[in-house]
Amino acid sequence: MTADLSLLTAREIRDGIEARDFTATEMVEASLSRVSTVEGDVHAFNQITPGLAFAAAARIDAMADAGEPLPPLAGVPTAFKDNMNLRGTNTTCSSRILQDYESVYDCTAVRRMLAAGVLPVGKCNMDEFAFGSSTENSAFGPTHNPWDLDRVPGGSSGGSAAAVSAGMAVLSLGSDTGGSIRQPGALTGTVAMKPTYGRVSRFGIVAFASSLDQIGPFSKTVDECGLALNAICGKDMLDATSVDLPDEDFTSGMREGVQGLRIGVVRDLLELEGCDPRVRDAVRATVEGLEHMGALVGEVDLPSCQYGMPAYYIIGPAEASSNLARFDGIRYGHRVPDAEDVMDLYLRSRAEGFGPESIRRIMLGTYALSAGYYDAYYGQAQKVRTLIIRDFERAFADYDVLVTPTTPTTAFKLGEKAADPVSMYLSDVFTIPVNLAGIPAVSVPCASIDGLPVGIQLMGAHFNESTLLRVGYAIESMSDFDPVPPLVKTGV
Amino acid sequence: MSKDRLPEVLEKWEAVIGLEIHTELTTLNTKMFCGCPVAFGGEPNTRVCPVCLGLPGALPVPNARAIESTILAGLALECDISSWSQFHRKNYFYPDMPKDYQISQYDRPFCVGGHVDVEMDGAESVRIGITRIHLEEDTGKMVHVGGSEGRIAGATHSLVDFNRAGTALMELVSEPDIRTPEQARRFASQLRLVFLTLGVSDCNMEEGSMRVDANVSVRPHGQAEFGAKAEVKNMNSFKALHDALSYEIVRQADELEAGGTVAQETRHWDAGKKRTSSLRSKEFAHDYRYFPEPDMVPFTFDDDFIEGLRASLPELPDARRARYARAYALPGNDASVLSSDLGLGAYFEEAVEAAGGPEMGKAVANWVLGDFSAHLNAEALLPADSSVTPRKLARLVQLVGDGTISGKQAKAVFAEMVATGEKPRQIIERLGMQQVSDSGAIEAVVDRVLAANPEEVEGYRAGKTGLIGFFVGAVMREMGGQGNPAMVNEVLKARLGG
Ligand SMILES: [Zn+2]
Repeated sequence: MTADLSLLTAREIRDGIEARDFTATEMVEASLSRVSTVEGDVHAFNQITPGLAFAAAARIDAMADAGEPLPPLAGVPTAFKDNMNLRGTNTTCSSRILQDYESVYDCTAVRRMLAAGVLPVGKCNMDEFAFGSSTENSAFGPTHNPWDLDRVPGGSSGGSAAAVSAGMAVLSLGSDTGGSIRQPGALTGTVAMKPTYGRVSRFGIVAFASSLDQIGPFSKTVDECGLALNAICGKDMLDATSVDLPDEDFTSGMREGVQGLRIGVVRDLLELEGCDPRVRDAVRATVEGLEHMGALVGEVDLPSCQYGMPAYYIIGPAEASSNLARFDGIRYGHRVPDAEDVMDLYLRSRAEGFGPESIRRIMLGTYALSAGYYDAYYGQAQKVRTLIIRDFERAFADYDVLVTPTTPTTAFKLGEKAADPVSMYLSDVFTIPVNLAGIPAVSVPCASIDGLPVGIQLMGAHFNESTLLRVGYAIESMSDFDPVPPLVKTGV
Repeated sequence: MSKDRLPEVLEKWEAVIGLEIHTELTTLNTKMFCGCPVAFGGEPNTRVCPVCLGLPGALPVPNARAIESTILAGLALECDISSWSQFHRKNYFYPDMPKDYQISQYDRPFCVGGHVDVEMDGAESVRIGITRIHLEEDTGKMVHVGGSEGRIAGATHSLVDFNRAGTALMELVSEPDIRTPEQARRFASQLRLVFLTLGVSDCNMEEGSMRVDANVSVRPHGQAEFGAKAEVKNMNSFKALHDALSYEIVRQADELEAGGTVAQETRHWDAGKKRTSSLRSKEFAHDYRYFPEPDMVPFTFDDDFIEGLRASLPELPDARRARYARAYALPGNDASVLSSDLGLGAYFEEAVEAAGGPEMGKAVANWVLGDFSAHLNAEALLPADSSVTPRKLARLVQLVGDGTISGKQAKAVFAEMVATGEKPRQIIERLGMQQVSDSGAIEAVVDRVLAANPEEVEGYRAGKTGLIGFFVGAVMREMGGQGNPAMVNEVLKARLGG
């Protein structure tokens, strides 16, 4: 009988293959079996890659047969957001403009995961070019939340979150520019980390906003989050913004407990209008639990963070408008066949290729950078960014970890916010300041409300991911949250 | 035609010229932001990678040596080096630009300020200010197919070659301090010599590794405001720069004198037709939407770094010229010529050294600038490629200096050296050219010649001193051309005077 990936952790898979309890090939089969039962409803993937996965599994199985030591993530079925280059796949960014674009090289983070032994099972659906918070802005149709198929999985990395939540993959990678890992993590009950800016190479991920983007993992457990970080972190000569730090094992200090750790609840963010009081209560209850375990809990304000949203919607689109210029139909991607001249080629290829949210952001960003508006918009937004960084610096002088909900509400219905961009943008209100400050943050499931997961966001000072995992592990161990959604359970 | 009218026009109008000089850093091994090799030409689209093709997800990594080269250029030209600097994105769509933005610099260039003192023959040198030197990436090249002469007008389609895309391009912007085409020509040529001396580029104008654009306007003498300026492009040589500016100054002056105005526009120099013409492309009011390049962190340079680079500066052309004039007692023009050709200067210095030191400088310079340069020109050789090595030439100069052969014989020996590659000593022996410096032998021949020509001896003694040439010729003929001319002269004068 086929194994159930919802019930196996990455560590168990690696050790099980090494002990010859099962094979890596069986892990691919387990993934494909789950895909066959739920993917039709969930639509987490743009592309399933059994060929790549079986080939990788054969290599792992050969190593196991030869009695060689296996790499740390050997045989772990893993999914990648469809903005990460991987040879042998199309990298579409869920956009018509890149629908047929074949990757000719590997994204560094993907390459490092492969080197750690994972089996690439597919490329995940996303909001087009990562513009969105629901994965509804995909040219290939929305992804559905495995906890309630009428609801969104969050976004933009909604496919990556849903793939892990539904047990089609054990790990996945997403990218986070304003919450695109943590927000879907919260809405799907997965552990979802945005590392410090510079921790993980951005080489090979199709850029949204270069100064904000960061790759990070989804997993069912905090331990697996640490294992995935171990694999993807580190200096990359191909990314000038990646940082050179000594290697560390992010899982090693995880079980040390929270005794004496200073934890600050961000009061002014928690009290924001629009935050579901039940979400607020769940977060407060979780913090109380940490206090019982010996953490020193206090409250702190981050007054500049209320300006994070407008600043983000200047900086993000400004950089995006420039990053997306290259999709012009000249060298690759969608091109109208009958262009009159080069201007006609640009205008029509791009108008046909980009979806409405992409066009909205490109126009916003182009406007914000225009002569005469630069200082009022981009310049001002950069000043806000500096103020937010100062807020966090002050807070981290007093606290090791800051806490907010990850999202103001649990998963919302498909179509509920699609017509109102601003209400959609507000679902990232807690996550955006983290990207503007470049600090690490993780969303850990802490409760459920009406059968939908609630995530707590833990934020740390630059390069302090290990402390976040320590707190996350404590939350995980005291919580009775079960990360396996009913959809999959009934399928067993 | 217009060139002839330039002096007259410049009496009435003052030209105001600023140059923008793009220099590809061709001596780097790799492009500005990727590992692709830098070279001219080649099969289209063979020196490319995800980064310089602007493929999705690729990121630029700055080439440290390109930045050092730019700072070196700044130091050589007396610029201030910015303590912190950064790249900006210059956003505009064009098919030869893979990312549809160019990574360039905006308000934090690596070098600001600076100047060049341009030498003008027989007149005071002119100081031309340098506004800034910054670094950016070059674009690809477009080939338009189906139209006339490869122009875009009438073309059916265009091809793009990205081999050049991403090559490090150093842009120098001058102040509008230039007043004549000749100043412009000399300024650009002095900059070229500095860049060649620094070894940052091959500065090949025909291949486009050094490209000069000019902003030109005219105004009545004494007027403080600038006139409307035209930007002139496509000047592929210093001569083209000179001719294009001459044409453009006269054209603008004529336009204004006829009551017209000068359009603010880009004009294309046509070296064949010898005129500039408006590009007449659809002129967009470009808004480049500059913003700091987020894929790279800003650069900071401490004093140690900058002083380290300053200490590594080679001897610059001005200093070299002064040293040649001083150390070798060369006339100004010789020193200028030798110091403005790096290969010839190096050859000269090596030959002087081999010939015995600075006191041989003048004699070696005469050879290097005379027969040796003629030989290089005739055979289109670089100094280093000649079979006449500095050591061989030095030997030849020594053999003249110590009287072994005469200057005239030496010319024949040099011709043989060029033809056969032999050493001078071998040639002299092979041709039996040894010069006779034995005073006894010379005296014997002199006595014989004087005895055979009593009438001429008398004439000389009566005051026809011009007859000395007759006697020298006779003696040299008698000696088969091998007598030491100085000694022959001396002996003749002693005998005739006695
Ligand atoms: Zn390249």
